[in-house]
Amino acid sequence: MFRVLLRIALLSLRRRLSRSLLVIAMIAMSLWGLLFMEGLYDGMTEQVIDNAIRSDSGDLSLFAREYRLDPGLERLLAEPAEIGRFLDEDSRVRSHVSRLRQDGLIATAHYSRNAVIYGVDLGAEDRHGRLASYLDAGAYDFGDKGRGALLGARLATKMKVTVGQKIVVSAQNSANDVSALSLRVVGILKTNNMALDENAVFIEMNKARELLMVPEGVSQLSVLLYNKEKVAAVQQGLRVRFPELDVLGWDELYPALRQGREMMEIFNLITSLLVFCVAGLGIFGVMLVSVLERLREFGIMLAIGTTFREIRTMVFVESFILGFSGYGGGVLLGGLTLLYFYNFGLDLTMFSAGLDAFGMDAITYALIRPSYFFTALAAVSVATLVSVLLPLRILKKARPIEAINKI
Amino acid sequence: MMFVHFAMKNIRAYRNRSLVTLLLTTLTTALLVFATAFMDGSHQKMLQNAVEIYPGYVQVTHQDFRDQPSLDNMIFDAKAVRQVLATTPGIAAFAARFESFVLFAGAEKAVGGMLTGIEPTAEEKLSRLASSLVSGAYLADHDGNQLYMGYELARRLKVKVGDELSFVGTGADYSFAADNLLVKGLFKTGLFEFDASAAFVSKGYFDQVMAAANYASHFIVLPANPSGADLLAAELNGRLDQQYLAESWRTTMAGLVQAMLVDSIFGYLTLAVIFIVIFFVILIYTWLTVFARMREIGVLRAVGTMPGQILQMLVTESVLLAMASVVLGGLIGGALAYYFHLHPIYFSFSEEQFKQYGLAASSMPTAFAPLVILRDMAVMFVLAVGSTLYPIIKANRVSPMEAIHHV
Amino acid sequence: MLLQIRDLSNEECMIYTKVLAVVLFSVLVSGTPVGASPVDDIVKKVEDNLNGKTAFMQFTMVVQTKRSKRTMKMDSWSIGKDKSFIKITYPGKDSGITFLKVDKAMWQYVPRIEKTIKIPASMMLQSWMGSDFSNDDLVRESSISEDYRGVLVGEDEAEYFLDLFARPEAPVVWGRIRMHISKKYFLPTTVSYYDEEGVLVRVLDYLEIKSFGQRSYPTHWLMRPQAPEKTDHLTEITIDHAVFDEAIDEEYFSKRALKRFSQ
Repeated sequence: MFRVLLRIALLSLRRRLSRSLLVIAMIAMSLWGLLFMEGLYDGMTEQVIDNAIRSDSGDLSLFAREYRLDPGLERLLAEPAEIGRFLDEDSRVRSHVSRLRQDGLIATAHYSRNAVIYGVDLGAEDRHGRLASYLDAGAYDFGDKGRGALLGARLATKMKVTVGQKIVVSAQNSANDVSALSLRVVGILKTNNMALDENAVFIEMNKARELLMVPEGVSQLSVLLYNKEKVAAVQQGLRVRFPELDVLGWDELYPALRQGREMMEIFNLITSLLVFCVAGLGIFGVMLVSVLERLREFGIMLAIGTTFREIRTMVFVESFILGFSGYGGGVLLGGLTLLYFYNFGLDLTMFSAGLDAFGMDAITYALIRPSYFFTALAAVSVATLVSVLLPLRILKKARPIEAINKI
Repeated sequence: MMFVHFAMKNIRAYRNRSLVTLLLTTLTTALLVFATAFMDGSHQKMLQNAVEIYPGYVQVTHQDFRDQPSLDNMIFDAKAVRQVLATTPGIAAFAARFESFVLFAGAEKAVGGMLTGIEPTAEEKLSRLASSLVSGAYLADHDGNQLYMGYELARRLKVKVGDELSFVGTGADYSFAADNLLVKGLFKTGLFEFDASAAFVSKGYFDQVMAAANYASHFIVLPANPSGADLLAAELNGRLDQQYLAESWRTTMAGLVQAMLVDSIFGYLTLAVIFIVIFFVILIYTWLTVFARMREIGVLRAVGTMPGQILQMLVTESVLLAMASVVLGGLIGGALAYYFHLHPIYFSFSEEQFKQYGLAASSMPTAFAPLVILRDMAVMFVLAVGSTLYPIIKANRVSPMEAIHHV
Repeated sequence: MLLQIRDLSNEECMIYTKVLAVVLFSVLVSGTPVGASPVDDIVKKVEDNLNGKTAFMQFTMVVQTKRSKRTMKMDSWSIGKDKSFIKITYPGKDSGITFLKVDKAMWQYVPRIEKTIKIPASMMLQSWMGSDFSNDDLVRESSISEDYRGVLVGEDEAEYFLDLFARPEAPVVWGRIRMHISKKYFLPTTVSYYDEEGVLVRVLDYLEIKSFGQRSYPTHWLMRPQAPEKTDHLTEITIDHAVFDEAIDEEYFSKRALKRFSQ
């Protein structure tokens, strides 16, 4: 019986082919737009967050208590190795890396400027947050003797230095003296994490220890997890294990980014709701007309023994065929579009000054999340279902059998 | 006129279709008008805040000051600049500032920061300094060594209103400048960096201490019409001595301006997605009604009505409908824009984010610009009529015989 | 805009003149750059001639910028490179301001506010414009024999010409220093500072060698920055009076001294 219903449904859709195609196109277009928007905006938001997490905060970071309020060499993590061992045993932890940080100065023969000196292990940083991927010029290598330095892009511009040039960094060391170190710029990093791009001088960890006279201890230990959903649990565990430390999530270190993401989510939700309501209205109109113009037809069917349930099923089937064809088209279009922007990105270099102000990359790569397609499917299902409820009620009230006699 | 009469009749006859189209177009127009008002309003507000907190709409500096903000590139004849500003029409207010980097010394700590001499009464009209007061009092023109300082700076130095602290700096003649200051008031603009480094004294006093009589780092100028800042800057450049440069905020804050542009582009992109769907729906509804009237059209054709006349009649219908809904939507959207212009929307949850970008604003008034509303209404009108053309033309192509037999 | 707030508040932009006094610590006390290796002897001699064991000096410093000329007079006491005490004696407005530098820590006393301020490291490191001594001068006493490798590139009847190349590890900003040395006195006459790319950044002239007891000493120093935006700048130091190698009271090098000797 269902096969017959399906056939009838298909036939009636074909009879009004242009109209059916219009509805399908409408659904496809709205899905296309929505998917594109969602993927692009999420890509944008996550890119900014990802930059901050990879280049600095990790999913979590450990600091000595109050370090962030009053950073200095007297507030260090004294036993990073112990924390490291604890983290290594945790299967949820993907990687961790430690850094030594101190405010200082960078100078050339022509200019000098405040800077933040980071002692890092480049290999570990790259395994941890793929720091090398931010390399804008030069090489990601401090050299055999560790005499190289990586500079934040904006800092390099302001200092007017390029790869290969000599810089002198100086800072107050743990004995409260000023010590200095001559280094050569080996590379420029553009992380789009404004704080780093504007101030950071990355130098080899041991060089930093030498410069700052800090034989052991680190300022920050950044932790990345396999699964972002475990952040709270791991954070709690660390807090219990190391109660004397500050264990902060990326969203505590970058509250503005969290808010940005929340705003974007709300914004996307409102837009999607709007689009689906309107699209639902479109399906509704077509289904209503298609039910009303076939009152006589339904009357005949009922008269020859078809049950109302079967007719209802038929109407649903029609509606779903419209909905899912549209969904299929939309997913195909949207998916391909996203795939393109996922691979090649949207190049907004012409607005780079504005994007920089927001800490955004000039090229935005779209995200593709399975959830886009599932939620869209759910939304299309709901829209098609709801949009035929009223036509069916009207159909029931109209008593189709009587309608046979009309006209 | 006959068409209008027919059209009115038809609109009434196909009440449901008319209503849906009317409703959709009205809502869409209202949405566009309001969304534009909100976007423009929030952007204007963010820029306005950024401009008004401290930098000002138009700045007059020595032409080399932006590249080389040194004591060599000050305005050394403030009187002459003052005279030009006083005689230039279209200026609501202006004031001179003398900025100097100094060392603040509290009882425990010395901290570097920016000490600026301002003209308190004039400054009140030009920036948000006075209104950002959180404790104590704002400066008066004849104040001596009274200090109005950033809240965070006071925290760093551990001083409060009524306490004493000292500053040491360099006078305009490169002499040592130092004095004891009395904290008169604290301000909080919400820009952390600014609040943590800036402090102000009355310029009369500062000129003495800094040996800077008749000097200024810059003038800030408030145009009578802030949107004409560019014109005013150009005008001033014509009137001022060549060594000085007047720049509007659009130049001094180019990055932020561009960021707002990017935001607008994405805003319109989102609206475009929503509109595509809405116009599909209007198209579908027009389609449904036009084809429902196929037989009527066939009859009209059969009795000798020219296709052109039918076309004219149908288009008149949709024009009338579109006009009515655009006016209605414009009124609703405009009313909302006006209401939220007077009663700004407050986003408490995004405060951090705004601060991050130095925007320090979470209350967002919508822009109420009748011209923009008219523009949006015109756009919607064209789209609304445009989306009905396809079905109308399509229906008109059907031959009279087909039309009469159309089921 | 905000960027501008940031830029203005950025210390870099502002001149911190105390620095001028500080500069003297290194330039006067630590001596002028000299070299090593085959020219070791020359360099050593020059270094010795510039640095006494102890020194007391009275000098005048004139800082000339695009639009102004400012004269200061100071007294300075120093032992070796590490301890210095400077007191400003002129102009009257600034007189009594004292500085103490012991190793790398620095304090300043300002009579007007009756306060001794320890100059924070960040401030000592502050870059400064408008004055003609580089940041490198004030913070570190870069020792020429340690930081540079000398090569004799020529000589005439009166002078040796040395090129001093920065050792790769040395924390100095200069790439090369060209030094002219008087054969008669074994004192520098002209010192030119180049960056790594060979661009001349500044020139320091030592003029008018006079005798102070056993020692000969240049009494007129001229620092001429070469950057295009600083063509009008000039810093001039004239040594009015000097006593070398006589005992100096250790009292000068304590924090108490700042206020005590301010009068």
